[in-house]
Amino acid sequence: MTGIPYTWEEGLLVLGMVMVLFFAAVLLSFWKKIGIAKEYTLALLRGGIQLFLAATILYFLFDFEYWYYPIWLLIAAMAVMGGYTSAKRAGKMPKAYKITTPSILIGATVVLSVLAITGAMPSKPQFMIPLAGMAFGNAMTICSLALNRLIREFETNKPALETMLSLGANPKEAMSEYSKMSVRSALIPNIDSLKTLGIIFIPGAMSGLLIAGTDPILAAEYQIIVYLMIVGGGIITSITVVTLARKMLFTKAYQLAEWL
Amino acid sequence: MNIIRVKNARKKLGGKKVLKGIDLHVKKGEIIALVGPSGSGKSTLLRTLNRLIELDSGTVEFNGKKITDLDPVELRRGAVLVPQESVMLQGTVMDNIIYGPKLAGMGNECDIETCLLDVGLSRRFSRRDALKLSGGEKKRVSLARALALKPEVLLLDEPTVGVDPKKVEKMESTILKIAKDRNLTVIWVTHDVPQAIRVADRIANLKNGSVKEVAKTTEFHWEGAY
Repeated sequence: MTGIPYTWEEGLLVLGMVMVLFFAAVLLSFWKKIGIAKEYTLALLRGGIQLFLAATILYFLFDFEYWYYPIWLLIAAMAVMGGYTSAKRAGKMPKAYKITTPSILIGATVVLSVLAITGAMPSKPQFMIPLAGMAFGNAMTICSLALNRLIREFETNKPALETMLSLGANPKEAMSEYSKMSVRSALIPNIDSLKTLGIIFIPGAMSGLLIAGTDPILAAEYQIIVYLMIVGGGIITSITVVTLARKMLFTKAYQLAEWL
Repeated sequence: MNIIRVKNARKKLGGKKVLKGIDLHVKKGEIIALVGPSGSGKSTLLRTLNRLIELDSGTVEFNGKKITDLDPVELRRGAVLVPQESVMLQGTVMDNIIYGPKLAGMGNECDIETCLLDVGLSRRFSRRDALKLSGGEKKRVSLARALALKPEVLLLDEPTVGVDPKKVEKMESTILKIAKDRNLTVIWVTHDVPQAIRVADRIANLKNGSVKEVAKTTEFHWEGAY
């Protein structure tokens, strides 16, 4: 088996032809007055430019002798960007990046370290960059889901929380159920997709490997490794973020924070 | 002996001065009613006493010690708030009553039956789903839940609001009996001046965040209360 059967230059022509789908979507949007044509166009332009920029960097990085230096920079950038993006989902919580950034960093680096130690992630940029991207990207999504849910629980259950504090609960005891609920709800989408693997869809990593010509059994094995990484990193990230959130949600005197 | 002493308590909430330098003392074993119209600062004052709300300035002393020097958990076990909205925690009535004592490590000492009987509920009641109780039942369970912690002070925020009007006086006498039997100090927030006169030893009248008058019930100028 081989990978994609044409060069990148030929690929541009193919991409140009497949753009018919883009024009079809824009035409349908105008015709049915759906109102997504402008947003879709801008998103495609932005996403396309970002992707080509990333591909250009990777193109040079894969052949760079000292590739491991920029990788650390890339990982740091992923953690900071992920932390700030996730913090935007934290509603009115002030300086939420202070808890989202370390949570994402801890969750993603723990699982990446396990992959590195076990040999699942060979020490090559071709493996490290995409896997780090997946680990950080998923940690960011799960962090946002967990924190957003936790804040919503606090906002809607203020009287219950104050009741528990009034009955002598400390913050950890008062928020215990809401923390568990938030971690669970953040992980459900990934666990659900794990259940349907291979039946309803073939996920990204496996699809990519199949297109690149990898043996289907090996591709399936690798996909499971990716899911172990996603859910493992997700649970570490979400537990870390709800734990760190405690100091933002309560004062030192065990009162609900004023911003709530 | 004063069990609670409030000195020059000030608090702003949402930019509005809610407490404007309140001074108040509460003697051990007495029942003091805080009366005043909505927005006068009664509930805010009550919630500063167990430090659910932090004062901007001024002090509150509990048993002669500044509450800011006490462990908040210990303070709240000693002065338990029964809020106006009786929020039930998930589970049975028993789960609710045992909640505080369990956290305090006194689960075995908690006599659920006595707590229920004291508030006028039967033993069978302990197995009921707490979330499915009526408003009046929730009020009683909320009170029983506070009693289970064996506090020195009960902070009651409008304990009869939402109770069937025919049962208000019965609820009042239940609370008075509990206070007497357990030698409790009670700070009772109410907007109902006749109720304050019925239940309290002293009445503090709050208006716009200040104490307008504190007097023995027999000497209270209730005509000017609102």
